[in-house]
Amino acid sequence: MITTYPQAISGPRVLPYLAVASILAGAGALFMALAWSPADANQGDLVRIMYVHVPAAWLAYLSFVVVFLASVAWLWGRWPLADAIAVASAEIGVMFTGLALVLGSIWAKPTWGVWWTWEPRLITTAVMFAMYAGYLILRSLSSDFDRRATRAAVVGAIAVLNVPIVHLSVTWMNALHQLPSVLRPGPPALDGRMLSTLVVCVIALTIFYAYCMVMRVSIERARSPRP
Amino acid sequence: MRLARARLVAGRELRAERAQPDGLAAALGLVAILVFTESLLVGPAVAAAPGIAAALLWIALALATILAVTRSFDRELEDDALEALLVLPDGRDALYAGKLIAATLLLLVVALGGTALTIYLLDLEVALPFHLLLVTLVGALALPPLVTLYVAVSLRLRARALVVPLLALPALLPQLIAVSAGVTAAIAGDGGASLAWCGLLFAAALASAIAGFTIGPAAIE
Repeated sequence: MITTYPQAISGPRVLPYLAVASILAGAGALFMALAWSPADANQGDLVRIMYVHVPAAWLAYLSFVVVFLASVAWLWGRWPLADAIAVASAEIGVMFTGLALVLGSIWAKPTWGVWWTWEPRLITTAVMFAMYAGYLILRSLSSDFDRRATRAAVVGAIAVLNVPIVHLSVTWMNALHQLPSVLRPGPPALDGRMLSTLVVCVIALTIFYAYCMVMRVSIERARSPRP
Repeated sequence: MRLARARLVAGRELRAERAQPDGLAAALGLVAILVFTESLLVGPAVAAAPGIAAALLWIALALATILAVTRSFDRELEDDALEALLVLPDGRDALYAGKLIAATLLLLVVALGGTALTIYLLDLEVALPFHLLLVTLVGALALPPLVTLYVAVSLRLRARALVVPLLALPALLPQLIAVSAGVTAAIAGDGGASLAWCGLLFAAALASAIAGFTIGPAAIE
C-alpha cells in the first residue's frame, strides 16, 4: 500500500532541526560570502561564485560516494533502506553536479572568455553528470522493486569510479581549470578569510544535503512496497 | 569448475557465432560504414589525421562491442536458454565470464579488421606497427567488461537500446581516451607515449574486469 506524501514527510523527527540548522547556517554562509569575505585581487567579486561552486562540487562527490556505499549495501543485504538512500543521494548529487556545471560556466565566461571549453575537469564532470542521469533514467524504466534496485545498485557501484577521475583530472592532464586549493598535499592555497568562508559554505550546504536526504529517503520509503 | 563452465559458455557462444556470424558481421559492418562516412563528411585529409582516425575507429569499436554483446544476450533470450543457464550452480558467474571471453575474442577480430581497414582506406602510414598491435590488443581487453556488465544490467528492459549506450559510453571514456591516444602515438612514431597509454589502458581493463566479475553476475536476471 502506498502511503501519502504528507504522512511520510512528517515522519522523521530530525527534519525540523535540520531545516532550522540549514536556514541558520545558510544565512551565516551568505553573510560571510557576500559581505565578510574580501574580493579577490584579480577576479574581484567574481570569486564569490566559488562559495557555492566548490561546495556544490564537494557535495556531488559526497552524494555519489553515498550512492556507492548504499548500492554495495543493497547488493550485500537487499535492505530497502539502502536502495532508498541510493536513489535519494543520486538525485541530490545530479542536482549539485548540474549546479556546479552551471556556476562554473557563469564564472568561466568573464574569466576565460567562453561559457564552455573542452577542458579535462569540465568534460569529466559533464560525463559524471551524464552517468548519474543515466542511473536515474535506468531506475525510471522498471516498476519491479527488486530488479530496479539491483540494476541501479550495479550501475551505482561502478559509476563512483568517476569521482576520483573528476577530482584528479586537473593534476593528471594539462588543464585550464585551477588545481585543487584545499584538498591537496600541503596547506590550503587560500586567504584565511576566504578559506573560513568556504568552510562555512561547505558546512551549510552539507546540512542542506542532510535535510534533502532525510526528506527524500522518507518519501522513497513511503513509496516502496517493502517496509 | 567455474572456469570450465565459463569456457563452456564462451565456446558455445563462439560456435553460435561461427554458425551464424551476425554479431561479427554487424560489428565489422558498423566500423566500415563509420570509417567511410567519416571520410565523406570531413574529407580524406582531415579523416586521415592520426588523432581523428584513431578516435573515430575506437568510438566505432565501442559501439560495435555494444552491438555484439547485445546480440549475444539476445540469442539466449530468443532460445530461452538463459533460464536454464541461470539455474546451474554458479550459472551467473559462468554466464558473465563466458560472455566476456567471447566478446573479447570477437572484439579482437573486429578491432584488428577495423584497424587494417582504416589504415587501408585512409592510406595511413604507421610508424610503429608493433606498438599499434599492442595497443589494439589491450584495447580489445579494456572495452568488453563494462559493456557486458551494462548489457546484463538492462537485459530485461524494453528500452535497452537506449539505456546501454547511455550508460556504457560515458563509463568507457577513460578507456577510449587511452586507446585513442595510444593508437595516435603509435601512428605518429612516439613509442614512449604509446606504451604509457597502453599501461594506463591495461590498468583500466584490469579495474573494469575486477568490477565486472565482482558485481556483474548479480546483475543478470
